[in-house]
Amino acid sequence: MNVGFIGLGAMGRPMALHLLKGGHPLGVYARRPESARPLEEAGAKAYGSPAELAAACDAVFTIVTTTRDVEQVVLGERGIAEGARPGTVVVVMSTIDPAASRRIAEELERRGVEMLDAPVSGGEIGAMAGTLSIMVGGKPEVFERIRPLLECMGKTIVRIGESGAGQVAKMCTQLAIVATLQGIAEAVTLANAAGVDASKVLDALEKGAAASHLLELMGRRMVNRDFAPGVEARLHHKDAQLVLECARDAGLALPLAALATQTFNALMARGGGKLDSSAIVTVVEAAAGRR
Amino acid sequence: MNVGFIGLGIMGQPMALNLVKGGHTLAVYGRRAETVQPLEANGATACGSPRDVAAKSEITIVMVSDTPDVEQVILGENGVIHGARPGSVVVDMSTISPSATRAMAKKLAEKGIEMVDAPVSGGDIGAIQGTLSIMVGGKPEVFERVKPVLECVGKTIVHIGPNGAGQVAKACNQIVAGVTIQAVAEALTLARASGVDAGKVRDALLGGFAYSRILEVHGKRMLDRVYKPGFKAKLHQKDMAIVLREAHQLGLALPAAALVAQQFNAMVGAGEAELDNSGIIRVLERAAGRGMVEA
Repeated sequence: MNVGFIGLGAMGRPMALHLLKGGHPLGVYARRPESARPLEEAGAKAYGSPAELAAACDAVFTIVTTTRDVEQVVLGERGIAEGARPGTVVVVMSTIDPAASRRIAEELERRGVEMLDAPVSGGEIGAMAGTLSIMVGGKPEVFERIRPLLECMGKTIVRIGESGAGQVAKMCTQLAIVATLQGIAEAVTLANAAGVDASKVLDALEKGAAASHLLELMGRRMVNRDFAPGVEARLHHKDAQLVLECARDAGLALPLAALATQTFNALMARGGGKLDSSAIVTVVEAAAGRR
Repeated sequence: MNVGFIGLGIMGQPMALNLVKGGHTLAVYGRRAETVQPLEANGATACGSPRDVAAKSEITIVMVSDTPDVEQVILGENGVIHGARPGSVVVDMSTISPSATRAMAKKLAEKGIEMVDAPVSGGDIGAIQGTLSIMVGGKPEVFERVKPVLECVGKTIVHIGPNGAGQVAKACNQIVAGVTIQAVAEALTLARASGVDAGKVRDALLGGFAYSRILEVHGKRMLDRVYKPGFKAKLHQKDMAIVLREAHQLGLALPAAALVAQQFNAMVGAGEAELDNSGIIRVLERAAGRGMVEA
């Protein structure tokens, strides 16, 4: 199958390389030609626009950042929709608003082009190791066609439901993550403020009822003041706001998500957007004049 | 003066009538015919599009619901921008996003059309009585030009600053109003749950440091359990979403506003979108499952 890939950032580059390693002829497009170079060196062919790329592919993957970026790449001038043939599958792996995702899928469907929403969880580490968790929305038969390609990039691949369902699952993931991070940051701050060795507190917590993957990974970063990403906070900041928009659309009170979003807002203003999300601990500290 | 008015809903209709009473020649546009008729009966000219309204007017007032509505009316097909003459003024009195307002003002300026944002506070009662509080953003000299027109619909008219500043002021207004309504609801719920006469608690609070107009007006509605709008929950929900988006863009933590926005979400989810915003107390009562909702 001829495969295309658009969005060769920290996540996209290793994911695209995995597709190549999986033996799939790969075409790529990047706004900056230098982003495409590592892929070209590995054997991929670079194209001048998403439309040209799509015209040469059976399946086109994209993992650009925002809803607007996805709309531009898929439906914009010289976008995928202009080049894709009927029957081509567009796989959107970005995290975007579920309602927007459904709109884009409908627009493609009118042109006979299929779409899956397939956002991922697992960060850069998961992208490089090819062990991402992938949450998919779309038709079952389209999912089955694309599944072998997704298996090159991820380990846990679940079709959640119809179009948009993958994005809803990702929203649930991000909600649980940002709310948990806020809890961990508060726990670490309480330990420090009370004059207790936060590292030892973590040792104890990791064995107890509060144990979690995030506690181990991010709690440790907070204690060690190691804020190298990881997942850049600006991405959780973006996704947390998407969660709030979903809550609004659903007529739902999500108080923890709402509060955690405010902490991420403040981290942005402190210039922490490119730090790891564990840096939200600095917001909790700063509010009380600590550090 | 030739004044245009677009958006003849609960707020817009009485405001437009007050402009007619103030002696202005009015051209109007409303999506639904039944909202246009009362204005026509009072001498206003009905137009087929926002563009036609703007073509007839020195000042075109817009009073619709949400940011996309305003963008449609001003920039859309047959929008104000396609009819307004250079030098004329667009006055947007809707409550919308400050950043979207600034973007629209810029687009209009490219065609030599002035814009001020002039959102209001005071509800339908203020609109009928012509006593609205109006918060204005835009150039000082444009503000001076539109001020006599605004004085037909409002009593307190303050020039806050450049384009978008009026909308920022309105967002601030909605934070204070929303958080205060939630505080009053929590206080009265605590009183009731403790078996204390909530009406007497309100009476006592009205004389003290916690006095507010909201404690007086919305507190009474909560005590009487009468949630006829007033200001609909869905509109306060919309305004809190504007607040949270600004906070997100600016990098600002507004925790209380964020929580209150969730309460309005819950009202809308529970089918209470059309109730007065004082109905926010029902979210607390339901959450506690005390059966106080119907008590």
